[in-house]
Amino acid sequence: MKIKEGFMLRTVAGQTIVVPVGSAAVSFNGMISLNESGAFLWSKLSEENDRDGLVKALLDEYDVKRELACCGVDMFLKKLREAKLLDE
Amino acid sequence: MPNNIKVVKEKYRIAGINTGIISRKDWIIERQARPYIAEFEGVPDIICAVDDKSLTEKSSNFPMLTIQECEYMWTGEQFCRQLLGFDGFMLHSSAVVYKDRAYLFSAPSGTGKSTHTGIWQRVFGEENTYILNDDKPVIRMIDGQVYVFGTPWSGKTDQNRNAGVLLQGICFINRAEKNQINKIDTKTAIYKILNQTIRPDGADKMTLLLDVLDRVLQKSAVYEMGCNMTDDAAITAFKGMNGVL
Repeated sequence: MKIKEGFMLRTVAGQTIVVPVGSAAVSFNGMISLNESGAFLWSKLSEENDRDGLVKALLDEYDVKRELACCGVDMFLKKLREAKLLDE
Repeated sequence: MPNNIKVVKEKYRIAGINTGIISRKDWIIERQARPYIAEFEGVPDIICAVDDKSLTEKSSNFPMLTIQECEYMWTGEQFCRQLLGFDGFMLHSSAVVYKDRAYLFSAPSGTGKSTHTGIWQRVFGEENTYILNDDKPVIRMIDGQVYVFGTPWSGKTDQNRNAGVLLQGICFINRAEKNQINKIDTKTAIYKILNQTIRPDGADKMTLLLDVLDRVLQKSAVYEMGCNMTDDAAITAFKGMNGVL
């Protein structure tokens, strides 16, 4: 799975956000904000990846327990699915 | 389109930018832009023009607007889109000036932005306040400072002034029984601002908008306020946006 085309990630005044551009703006009217790990996972999903790949990437980057990493990844994927941003 | 329309090609300085507008004589935009006429050398940095064919087409797509209103709105939209290339963006809001600072009140149409700035004029005095732009003021970074400018595009009430004033703050208002104001966090401020400006077409333009927003938000305070229509609304807003509450 990966993130759909047409979404731009930027940091504005210290806050990382995602906005649609081009045709994506027609179906997605809002904006999503991401915390630090969310922004990290977003970058890992700009290419094809899967849930386990994301968990591994998070564990490599951050000093956290596996349970917490899984929880973080699942919550992140849930948020993207709800906003219909994921191409699976 | 009537045959006897004279076309005016004129130079203006709007929001500090050399602008050229080609418009039809005595129509809304030609009349409203007259206080902004200026001289400058060379080609304008921003050009606004709507040709006959496009105007007729837009007019038939928007039957609730007169053809003059179409020209007015489309030249305004062209200005706002090109403005992104000059460290600026338009915020759908009513901007009132008091003691040399601009206070912007933003909300969806019909909420009561103009009503609120009207209360400021009543409470603080018409001789001490003025409306910089009642509908679409321009925010622009110049030399690291955030300025608000009037433009000829000012909505239904025609209230605007050709001036640039330092921004005191931006406040998103909604109707409430009691007056209450508080600062909002960056994430909410970005979201609300994006909803009250023209959505850029394309990634390049979006990048420009987010860049200027980044710089403006680092220097400016953004609030939200529940307000009613009493005099206290203006007093509460002023105190809140001056750190006195």
